[in-house]
Amino acid sequence: MANAKSKEKPSSPIGASLQRNDVYEKVTGSAIYVDDLQFGNRLLYAHVLRSPHPHALIKSIDTSKAEKLPGVKVVVTGKDFPERMGLYLKDKTIFALDRVRFIGEPVAAVAAVSEEIAMKACDLIEVEYEILEAVFDAEYGASDKAPLIHPQLGEYYCPNYLFPKPGTNISNHFKIRRGNCEAAWKECAYIVERTFHIPHIQHVPIETHGAIALMDEKGKMTIWASSQSPFAQRNIIAQALHITQTDLRVIAPLVGGGFGSKAGVTMEAIPAALATKCKGWPVKLMLTREEEFFTNFVRQGLTTHVKVGCDKDGNILALKNVMYWDAGASTEYGANVVRAAGYSSSGPYDIPNIETDSICVYTNHPIGGAYRGFGMSELHTGIDQAIDELAEKAGFDKVTFLKKNAISEGDIIVTGMKMHANGIQECIDNVAKSIEFSKKEEPTSPDRVRGKGIAIMWKAPATSPNPGSSAWVELAEDGKVTVGLGGQELGQGTFTVMAQMAAAALGVKYEDVRIAGPIDTQYSPYEWQTVASRLTWSMGNAVRAAAADARRQILDVVAEAWKENPEDLDIVNGVVVSYKSEKETPLANLVIYGLPRENNGGWIGGPIVGRGSFMPQYITNLDLETGQGPRAVVHYTVGCEGLDIEIDKNTGKIHVVKAAASFDVGKAINPELVKGQIEGGFVQGLSSALFEEIRLRNGVMTNPSFVDYRIATAPDVNFPLDVPFVEVPQDDGPWGARGVGEHPMVPTIAALGNAIYNATGIRLDGPPYSAEKVYLAMYDAGLTK
Amino acid sequence: MAYQRITLTVNDLTETVDVPQNMTLLQMLRQKLSLTGTKNGCSAGECGACTVLMNGEPVNSCMVLAAECEGATIVTVEGLAKNGKLSKVQEAVAKAGGVQCGFCTPGMMISATALLERNPNPSDDEIRQAIVGNLCRCTGYFRIVNGIKEAAKM
Amino acid sequence: MINPHPGLPELEYVKPATLVEASQFLAEHNGTAKPFSGGTDCFVRLRDGVLKVDYLVDIKGLDGTKELSFDPKKGLTIGAAVPMNKVATNKDVIAHYPNLAMAANSVASYQLRNRATIIGNICNASPAGDTIGTCMVLDGVLNVHGTDGFRQIPLNSFFLGPGRTVLKPGDVVVSITLPVPPAGMVGVYKKLGRNTIGDLSIVGVAVLGYPNQKSPSGYTFRIALASVAPVPFEALKAEAVLSEKKITEETIAQAADIAMESVTPIDDVRGSARYRKLMVRNLTREAITEVWNQLSK
Repeated sequence: MANAKSKEKPSSPIGASLQRNDVYEKVTGSAIYVDDLQFGNRLLYAHVLRSPHPHALIKSIDTSKAEKLPGVKVVVTGKDFPERMGLYLKDKTIFALDRVRFIGEPVAAVAAVSEEIAMKACDLIEVEYEILEAVFDAEYGASDKAPLIHPQLGEYYCPNYLFPKPGTNISNHFKIRRGNCEAAWKECAYIVERTFHIPHIQHVPIETHGAIALMDEKGKMTIWASSQSPFAQRNIIAQALHITQTDLRVIAPLVGGGFGSKAGVTMEAIPAALATKCKGWPVKLMLTREEEFFTNFVRQGLTTHVKVGCDKDGNILALKNVMYWDAGASTEYGANVVRAAGYSSSGPYDIPNIETDSICVYTNHPIGGAYRGFGMSELHTGIDQAIDELAEKAGFDKVTFLKKNAISEGDIIVTGMKMHANGIQECIDNVAKSIEFSKKEEPTSPDRVRGKGIAIMWKAPATSPNPGSSAWVELAEDGKVTVGLGGQELGQGTFTVMAQMAAAALGVKYEDVRIAGPIDTQYSPYEWQTVASRLTWSMGNAVRAAAADARRQILDVVAEAWKENPEDLDIVNGVVVSYKSEKETPLANLVIYGLPRENNGGWIGGPIVGRGSFMPQYITNLDLETGQGPRAVVHYTVGCEGLDIEIDKNTGKIHVVKAAASFDVGKAINPELVKGQIEGGFVQGLSSALFEEIRLRNGVMTNPSFVDYRIATAPDVNFPLDVPFVEVPQDDGPWGARGVGEHPMVPTIAALGNAIYNATGIRLDGPPYSAEKVYLAMYDAGLTK
Repeated sequence: MAYQRITLTVNDLTETVDVPQNMTLLQMLRQKLSLTGTKNGCSAGECGACTVLMNGEPVNSCMVLAAECEGATIVTVEGLAKNGKLSKVQEAVAKAGGVQCGFCTPGMMISATALLERNPNPSDDEIRQAIVGNLCRCTGYFRIVNGIKEAAKM
Repeated sequence: MINPHPGLPELEYVKPATLVEASQFLAEHNGTAKPFSGGTDCFVRLRDGVLKVDYLVDIKGLDGTKELSFDPKKGLTIGAAVPMNKVATNKDVIAHYPNLAMAANSVASYQLRNRATIIGNICNASPAGDTIGTCMVLDGVLNVHGTDGFRQIPLNSFFLGPGRTVLKPGDVVVSITLPVPPAGMVGVYKKLGRNTIGDLSIVGVAVLGYPNQKSPSGYTFRIALASVAPVPFEALKAEAVLSEKKITEETIAQAADIAMESVTPIDDVRGSARYRKLMVRNLTREAITEVWNQLSK
């Protein structure tokens, strides 16, 4: 109970490591994911017929035999759904139309009474292809020798901040021209030039993609999907299927891991398309793990040419990046990854002269989408390693070099925007101290060599210029609170953190706040997407505003009833108190029915509904030729990672002795959840550095299963990881908070590459730093026999 | 499609089920018994999301035919908590922060429960080895291992 | 392009009550029926469409398949239905065949080892099979029941190529018998995978050694290699070096070099031929050294 008399305030939920509010369901198996939803006997099962060719014309499709198979309800092909769609650049269709552009592309789909029958029906569909020459390399694809994969690129809708080149395979060419690199090279005392290749990888959510779609007799559709973007899916699928947005309802249960793979629209459109042909019958499609690996979304491959130079005092003067992104058969989403890498292409370094060409190239490879980091991991793999070498060449200690050149508040950054206050110096210090970076330590055995590496990073939320969040807050007769929001719980803890924020802004206990889930576009307020590490900041602002709005309404009612000033009132643990008169009343007494006036004079107030909305108003476009503009992004989160490793000279295997990851999160609303994110992101980064690669041969993924696409397992994580975070407040973040979801997997490859270099003097040309690569490099360098 | 009638015990309840002979134990649990706590992550015996106890030992239920389970005793994640009270493993891993998206969690709970049954005081390395077949993409495993260690002390 | 089934394709499950029934069924349905125990290999291949059968024949109830026993004269008998975990934790295995426990423990995950069997590993005849090499150097003999009754097949004449064995239609491998190892035997299994543990082998090396007065060096070594040849491969030339010459660091290195030269690995998704050869050398050297250190104590 609140104690108005003593004016004691209980501890705030902000900054408290409160227990997640979804953990009971998850440990008992009662949490509902999309494949757990029950639909009864009317449920139909979908199977997709996919292209076996990387690039081919479709001459004919004969579905007649499939349609006749007993148990088959619907068969569809591309001609039934010709509308182009996409989050940014509309270059994608639900099914291939006149040609296929990657192995695995959907060509047709069947809805039938069982998965087995749907699969058999797909086998009966006859497709005639005319093979076309394919493109498997981004630099080649960007050249004028390559065949065109999207000859109609010029006709696609494109937002005005992307710059496609019709008549080529380049769907976005983002440039930075800042200062004068040509002149600056001449001033440089030391220059490093390197090329790195970063392969495609996949998100590997443990829950694969899945969706169920149902269209009613009036043409209203409901889609249940494992989704990071229920509202974006509503918008994009509605447009593609000519349904008005209000008549397309997306319900998004808990997500078993997203990492960007479940953003935008991918396979969800397929059951939606089928459902339009069998009104009243729900159609379900769950991707197999194999389909998840290569038919849906992957992370783009990158070939990056980096040139960086500094003066004799160690000031970095110039940086040139030429980045060819192997973006796959569609770049509706990936074109913005290329842009984001471009406008952040300096990394968190203060460099006055920058020339960047970030080139998004169509290839006949799997589709590059949004992947945790959104281009930052690939970018930093290049620049952090080149700068690591530059530091050594210039004779500087690495940490000194990083600290000297790291971006500071007030610096004009790569796009011309001013950098805000940030904790990069403290992050570097934390990591250097944690792994004792300056201390050269002996290997633990004569069969090993030892080295340490450090790398820094930054990332801004990469979005459209106008991504909005909104929220509502309601209370019930018990005085407890329900928060309506549109962002998704992917495991990052957003439902928990939003409950904490609502509790703090309203004045109730965290335990008394519920999130209105599952997210349902029919009832939940709009949220752009659960991506970009933006929810804590953006949706947090909306939730805080909604709770504050509810609080103001409540205090206005009570003030009027008590004839007091709202400024003298407060809500503490769900009780409205007056610091002046010391009167109190629990919220339950007034949030539905209001308060009675004196002397049978009627009522004050009524049902309390708070609303809040947040959309950054200040993002601007950037110049086509120079990439300069007043405000490219909302803000940057900075950070640093370091690794202390040993390499086995007999096998090339890398053993991590200890590691550290430090990020400036602005304000840790829930410190243990923040640490959990950083730990998980670090391991995903380490996994991408050590093991992961989509092995493509002539457009075929040769390792589309866990057997040969390896990810980190528990025994691989047998070292201590220190995760000290820094808090330099974000001026427009709720309680100063900023996002950190993606950042921990960004600098890990570079930090490991730098550690390998420190241990062996060998700079490998790209991840994964497999034992084989490391061993053979050491062997060829004479470091091992 | 040929069917088989099997009788088995699932979470202390006797069940008699008619299963298609190509149906896996995972599919039977999820589709015939509506026990959706056990998850499908790969259907190839690699990710461990489908782990259940079969006659006391953890197995990938996607790699077991339902038809083989005549007379078997199966425990799924739904069978770990008793009367709403979480088991030590569930409580400790939850408290340690070893749950994010939750999709690997049911399988982890089963593997960890079986580990502590056969090895009540495992080292960190023994814990990691016991869960090598339970892939997690969210947590980095640190807090899962810590949670299991705490459960051993409870 | 891979197009796996969501679950398993249509098939019938058959559980014969006797070995005679099993052999008869398998012979009658040769090509459309397959025996299985743990299913961890064949279920995956069925799902991928690489293997197509109408019948899966469960051998787990048949006589002799559940046996796991040690006889001081006969040796160790492991039935076809005994999961790898049971073998790895058996006190007689740990006492007399610790290298077999090591090899079994290196396979996959705890969950898979509760279903996977050593006989299944052998019959699958993958060159990467982790327990095959150890069973070979332990001179394992398979007890097979076919349409003509029982017969024995020594392991070193069992393999014809990747996935191919000398088994005939109607054959069910009931168990393997590993003779009592020579006195003073020491053995190890060294495996290199991509992850720390739990992976398929890029290279696997099974080495055992024991005192042997008949041998010029005073010792006999057996060396079997996985994932570097079409079948699990016994490195006879390398063994000969350790038999003929006095065992020193140099002879061990020489034996390892010869092992490396005698293998013909391929480039595949797990590793290149070049790396595999060098790893054969390094792991063989490491394994022989470890065994020698214990033998020469």
